[in-house]
Amino acid sequence: MLTETMLMAEFTVDGPLRSIPLPFLEGLLGEENACIAESVVSQWVVMLILGVVFFILGRNLKVKPETKRQAAAEWIVGFFSGYVEESMGPRYKRRYGPYIGALFCFIFLSCLMGLFGLRNPTADVSVTGSWAIVTFFLVLFTKIKTGGMKGYLHSFIDPMPFMIPFNIIGDFANPISQALRLFGNNLSGMVIGGLIYFALGSFAIALPAVLSLYFDLFTAVIQSYIFVTLTMSYVAMADMSED
Amino acid sequence: MGFTLSAGEFLQLVNINPATIVFTLINTAIIVALYFFFLHKPVMKIMEERKNKINSEMQAAEDAQAEAEKVKEEYTAKLKESKEEAAQIVSAAVKRAGERENQIIAEAQQEAADLKKKAEESIELEKKKAINEIKDQISDIVIMASEKVCEKEISKSDNEALINSFIAEVGNE
Repeated sequence: MLTETMLMAEFTVDGPLRSIPLPFLEGLLGEENACIAESVVSQWVVMLILGVVFFILGRNLKVKPETKRQAAAEWIVGFFSGYVEESMGPRYKRRYGPYIGALFCFIFLSCLMGLFGLRNPTADVSVTGSWAIVTFFLVLFTKIKTGGMKGYLHSFIDPMPFMIPFNIIGDFANPISQALRLFGNNLSGMVIGGLIYFALGSFAIALPAVLSLYFDLFTAVIQSYIFVTLTMSYVAMADMSED
Repeated sequence: MGFTLSAGEFLQLVNINPATIVFTLINTAIIVALYFFFLHKPVMKIMEERKNKINSEMQAAEDAQAEAEKVKEEYTAKLKESKEEAAQIVSAAVKRAGERENQIIAEAQQEAADLKKKAEESIELEKKKAINEIKDQISDIVIMASEKVCEKEISKSDNEALINSFIAEVGNE
């Protein structure tokens, strides 16, 4: 079987970062999980980069724009606010604009971390799962806020009482599928990258770069776009207010 | 750990680590905060300021336009007024001139009539004078002629009375 030969061949994708053990959590989480994972360390790198980029972009803005930097900053904010307004309606623009913009930037740059030799955070199901948990709670919050507790509970027997199990599954399935889609795409990109390096051996010139352009850059754009779009559509669908 | 894809680690790829989830949630919150405070808020603020500025400038432009419109109307009205006034002045002047013309003509006619009358009077006077003179001369001539004819001495006063009556008869005829 292909998988077995692949697994036995022991190819590696080495990154410079190692997970940092947190011994005091061993009792709570078990030996395996009591650590700061590499994907978290990568996130810190992403946060540092994004923090600097956001700071530089948003600094010293003028009413009459003079720099391309300001044009870029306005374009980014305008794009995400506009996209939220378009997908969710004007009521959500103010509250969700920053979350969607930040999430997109976070996912996008995370996906690119593989290019710099770091562990890709989005190739860790715990990371994508965290964002799915956020989505789950946003959906829950929106349902209760727009429909009230009664409306929220009623949504489970809608349209028929026997739909209860399916409605409950639906509430969980959406975020889980969202998390697994992002995770799967990035993990497969990472594994394929590793396999290519492994297969080419010492002839790994040019071809990995082209393929990595597809598996990292293209995937980064598409998957972050899909992830935020799904987040917005789940929340917008959860809106039970009549309008 | 590196990332060695052995069977155990392959399973670890789908391992759910609560610590990672907690860290990721914290990191996401921080990223959202960074995005919001460093980028979103300043850009929104500047856009709001720009919007306000544009609105106020547009308002100012509209005000200026209205003001200009008003001034223009005022000037148009004034221009119209002055045109009317000018026309009035001209027509008044024309009327006055016409009156004056008539007056002058009337005066001239009057003067001419006076002159004519005076001339006629003086002609009449001259005529009378001339007639008188002629009468005198005739009387003298007649006296002389009578003296010659009659060869008779008649007192001058008698003669004159006689002749005057004759002339009066002649003159009346």
